[in-house]
Amino acid sequence: MSITSLPVRTGAIKSEGPTMRLVAPGAQDPIGGLDDNARFRNVVMPHIDEAYRLAHWITGNRSDAEDVVQDASLRAFRAIREFAGGSPRSWVLSIVRNTAYSWLRKNRPATVVTVEDLEAVELEQSSPDNTNSVTPEAALIAKVDAERLHAAIAALPSPFRETLVLRDVEGLDYREIAEATDVPIGTVMSRLARARRRLVTIISG
Amino acid sequence: MTHSKSDDNSVLLVHAYLDGELDPANALGIAQRMNQEPALAAEAERIKALQQLIHERLPRETTPPGLAARIEASIGGTKRQHARPSWRAMAASIAVTAMLASGSTWLVVGSQQQPIMVADALVADHIRGLMATEPVDVVSSDRHTVKPWFNGRIPNSPRVVDLGKEDFPLIGGRIDVVGQTPVSTLVYRRAKHMISLTAVPADSHFELGRVPKSVNGYNVVHWTENGLTYWAISDLEVKELEDFAHLFRTSQTEL
Repeated sequence: MSITSLPVRTGAIKSEGPTMRLVAPGAQDPIGGLDDNARFRNVVMPHIDEAYRLAHWITGNRSDAEDVVQDASLRAFRAIREFAGGSPRSWVLSIVRNTAYSWLRKNRPATVVTVEDLEAVELEQSSPDNTNSVTPEAALIAKVDAERLHAAIAALPSPFRETLVLRDVEGLDYREIAEATDVPIGTVMSRLARARRRLVTIISG
Repeated sequence: MTHSKSDDNSVLLVHAYLDGELDPANALGIAQRMNQEPALAAEAERIKALQQLIHERLPRETTPPGLAARIEASIGGTKRQHARPSWRAMAASIAVTAMLASGSTWLVVGSQQQPIMVADALVADHIRGLMATEPVDVVSSDRHTVKPWFNGRIPNSPRVVDLGKEDFPLIGGRIDVVGQTPVSTLVYRRAKHMISLTAVPADSHFELGRVPKSVNGYNVVHWTENGLTYWAISDLEVKELEDFAHLFRTSQTEL
């Protein structure tokens, strides 16, 4: 379905390039003139907590998440000169995400979502949601307990899970999510809507 | 699927609206449709309930102690100089904390039943500005650029004054939406603190609600002049924010 033309503020305004960039102290050239270690501290270290939480959502456990974040940090360090401005948080999270999926493919092949699975998900996305299916009341949602909520998010297919987590848990805007997950904003929008619907259905089912 | 396609798009717009991702015109459009179409209104209620649930109940993983130190060590930095986060990163992390700590943020979207709390809505807009890649939609320290930008976007463009000499440089402006009304916001800076200054028509239908001195740690100063209520929101000290308000009020208007 064609959704790329939807008028999203972040995409419409912010894609105009460097001329629109805010100039503020500390942000003017946050990494220019610094050595790699200093760049790394400025760009990556402020986002370690978010990196760890995203890795935890993708891998599902603490020690795997820690391995992934350490691995991703090394990758980020080696690539630090490629960071050319924009949102450091999106840049860091995109490295964490890629590292997590390749780490899973290598170490937990059974849990990996293959490209075919992803395509199946996309296919499913493009079919219209049945609006006559379960449409629980908001009041019912409010009664769900933490454990059930957590389990339901963990059970979402990974493209839906990461999009929902980045938006509703970590508070990224659509453009940042598009950058972090390497998809167009239209895809972020449809994944987010599907993720929320699935989640609502699961927790109130 | 021609029928369901437009429905699908409206649903996406409801999500984007609640996420504050729509420009004012589209925000107004979808807000009106939500009033007319119970299915869209119900979707909005579910989204809000879900967001509130996640916000209030979902436990958050804490980073293992020592992970940051191990990472710093692994990249070979023996100097343990404390990372100085960028302005943007600081703003983002503060904003995330504030979002997590805020129960009232969800009132921004103002359902029909709940009166819109202007202060809460504007603090949420301020936080959103801090979290966004840019806190403003027009970037300029020149009021002769900022003021005309508002013309044609909203009915009455705000008074724009230059307070750069007083160490409150103008960063730019953006349009915020309170309830369903687009309003003008100027963004000024004091050292590393952002100040959002929003002009809301004083005769508007908004209930002032409570007028708190602060919301979620953000200080709020407001006053009314020439039919507009001005709201200044910032994490600046109250005293400095009041100084800013005083300077703005007493500054000469001319363009």
